[in-house]
Amino acid sequence: MIGLKGMLKVIDNSGATLAECIRVVRAGQFASVGDEVVVVVKKSRTGPNIATANKVKRGDIHHAVVVRTKFPLRRADGRYVRFDDNACVLVNKDREPVGTRILSVVANELRMKNHTKLASLAPRTV
Amino acid sequence: MRVFTCYFCSGPVYPGHGMMFVRNDSKVFRFCRSKCHKNFKMKRNPRKVAWTKSYRKAHGKEMVYDKALAVSAARRNVPVRYDRNVVATTLTAMKRSAHIHAKRERMFVKKRLSGKKSQQLSEAQKLVGQNVPQFAEKETVEEKEPSEPQEAQVVSDEEYAMDEEPAEAVKVPVAATKKRKNKKSRGEGAMDMD
Repeated sequence: MIGLKGMLKVIDNSGATLAECIRVVRAGQFASVGDEVVVVVKKSRTGPNIATANKVKRGDIHHAVVVRTKFPLRRADGRYVRFDDNACVLVNKDREPVGTRILSVVANELRMKNHTKLASLAPRTV
Repeated sequence: MRVFTCYFCSGPVYPGHGMMFVRNDSKVFRFCRSKCHKNFKMKRNPRKVAWTKSYRKAHGKEMVYDKALAVSAARRNVPVRYDRNVVATTLTAMKRSAHIHAKRERMFVKKRLSGKKSQQLSEAQKLVGQNVPQFAEKETVEEKEPSEPQEAQVVSDEEYAMDEEPAEAVKVPVAATKKRKNKKSRGEGAMDMD
């Protein structure tokens, strides 16, 4: 349940680490896993070489796809899945990821919501 | 569709029940109900929580390793080509090993609980040894009671029935409690003494 002002961890290597949701793209108040969201980058990775390698800077506005939520998701067999935090992956207007790698586990719902590229980049889907 | 085991209590998690929690290191925890989930969130160690299977196994309350199950579990995970006879024998073997395992578990628990009779006897003897004057008192109370109805008879006809009834009534409950004490709560009494 990511809504306005919701903080999301960014788990790709685009350079951002923390993003704040400013708009949920689909109709309705809240975004769940697989939904697109407009975010502002609140924190990015710092360091001598990293800053130049970052594709994304603090204050940038980007689209993102939510990949993990702390709020339980209902699966078709009636089971509920809950992650440890809220996380997203930055994407561009064509729903292609800005980064080249995804760093931790993502939810399987991405496959069903046509984010197969993200699902395949992830080291593990649950 | 698969029946998983709860991470906390080791009970079965049927489809449509419980919660699955995925940690950021991709480790998956399944819980059969919110009780287990909440205990997990409290960071309790299931090996220290008395009602879980892992506690019972860690503290020797239940059988941990059984050869009867090892027959099936130690099999290689290589898929075998379907053969009707193999399937039939496997099914009977599964039933048989489950039956044997259940029997062995019951024996284990029985053995574990069996040493109590001698302990209860020694505790009862200790109690008697400690409270000899009390047991002497009870004998004198018995001697008094037969004399009371004799006095009641002397008084009058009206009070005769009334006095006899309470005297009889007093007798019966004392006998009953004495019987109960002899049977069951001897051991409990000794434990209270501790």
